[in-house]
Amino acid sequence: MQNALVFMIQLFHVSKTYPPKSQALTDINLEIGRGEIVFLAGPSGAGKTTLLKLLFRAEEPSDGRILIDGKNITRLNSRGIARLRREIGLVFQEFRLLPRLSALENVALAAEVVGMPRKESHTKAYQLLRELGLKDRYEAKPLTLSGGEQQRVAIARALVNDPPIVLADEPTGNLDPEAADETMKLLLKIREKGTTILIASHDLELIKRYGSRMIALRQGRVADDLHRVTPAGGAP
Amino acid sequence: MPIGFVVRRVRSSLRELLWSHMLTSATMAMSLFVFGAFMVLQENLQHFLTGLGDQIQVNVYLEKELAAADALRLLARIRTFPEVERARHVTQEQAWRDFKAALGAQSSLLDGLPPDVLPSSFEISLKPAFRDGPVIAQLADRLKKEKGIAAVEYPQEWVERLSLVVLAVQWLKWLLGGVLFLAAFFIVGSTVKLAILARQDEIEIMQLVGASEELIQAPFVLEGMIQGVAAGAFSIACLWALFQSLRRQLASSGGWFASPEQLRFLDLESIALLLVIGWLLGAAGSLFALRRFVRTWKS
Repeated sequence: MQNALVFMIQLFHVSKTYPPKSQALTDINLEIGRGEIVFLAGPSGAGKTTLLKLLFRAEEPSDGRILIDGKNITRLNSRGIARLRREIGLVFQEFRLLPRLSALENVALAAEVVGMPRKESHTKAYQLLRELGLKDRYEAKPLTLSGGEQQRVAIARALVNDPPIVLADEPTGNLDPEAADETMKLLLKIREKGTTILIASHDLELIKRYGSRMIALRQGRVADDLHRVTPAGGAP
Repeated sequence: MPIGFVVRRVRSSLRELLWSHMLTSATMAMSLFVFGAFMVLQENLQHFLTGLGDQIQVNVYLEKELAAADALRLLARIRTFPEVERARHVTQEQAWRDFKAALGAQSSLLDGLPPDVLPSSFEISLKPAFRDGPVIAQLADRLKKEKGIAAVEYPQEWVERLSLVVLAVQWLKWLLGGVLFLAAFFIVGSTVKLAILARQDEIEIMQLVGASEELIQAPFVLEGMIQGVAAGAFSIACLWALFQSLRRQLASSGGWFASPEQLRFLDLESIALLLVIGWLLGAAGSLFALRRFVRTWKS
């Protein structure tokens, strides 16, 4: 019971096999504390993205058990998956913004679909964009924004519902070094609110620069876990 | 469910895919128009038959030996039958007079015949609901069993043929309507698929941020319903225009159809039925397309 309170993400003997026999993850055991920031490292094909997909239930594990905030999410129906995703903010390498919507509308959409009134969602989206340095760009369409700006919009969208967890899959993969730096600083800042952050990246230099705890995956297995699990509120 | 959000999505989809939505509505309207045209035809045939039905009567010929008091008692009894609207007693004298009048100039042919050669009879008119062939046949059988009745006659062939025409129109309406509705159903499904494909990125994002399945599906179903009701309304408007033009032409031709004002358009119930069919077609077509896509999303 105490573990359930301390750990935000727990994986027990989790495996994922894609048909017919492609083993993406094998016997993963992980515990990530509340408010912890963790880098998931490893080369392409190591299983980083698959692991993230299991956490927001884009994929179902073939074996093992996954707990998010103490709740078992291993087997969920579509309603359960929708509820889980409201607790998780997602940031992707390719931003995944809707080109026909403005930056503000992209962010507000995530709040509106979970029932926040339009006015409130727009106000909140604007506040977030302002905090992320996009005060003057909130009406711009994504394609008119730079890569770094687009990723900031995506981060704002991930944060608009105040999720306790943020999962970021190669968030700096499409950015120049300066924008990547900016994005990483933002993600670290989010952590100050007590948000648990899991970042998948193959960029070891970046991880070394900002890294706290790093879990290295190799061929679908945990090869290294370079820091001990940090309890709630503790510094890495 | 955030209704405002659903309405905004429907509005923007209708705007973005206006032509595809209009084409689907027009196709549905065509199916509904054909169905509605059969409804108008059936309605008018039925009306025409009701008019003819007033002329359909059952003639009951009485035995010559039947006393006048017994004939009146029998008439009173027949008037209590549920099928009977009116029943009139035609005495032998009246029958003779009517026959002579009908022969007109040739009435001299009857000279030398006794005036009681024709039997007295009852002329029975039936209520509209009982003017069907089989019902009349049953009534005739029942009458034949009554004491004092020598024979029962009714225009069997006419009644049966007219009933058959109405039945044929009714069947044709559903048969043709069914085929057209099936086609419309698949066309709606295809439009919704198009709308889904056009918004796939948005649907994916909505799923990733935790939108419920109902919220994702609701706008598409609503779009289908709007298309269906619009198609229903459009088909009714076209039917009305065609009906009015036909009526005007008939009035100006002054030909066989003397009183075009007797032509009847769809009543309110039939209009509501067309709108409901359109609404259901739209909703069902959308749900059918979504069912297949949702399966894809889950896989």
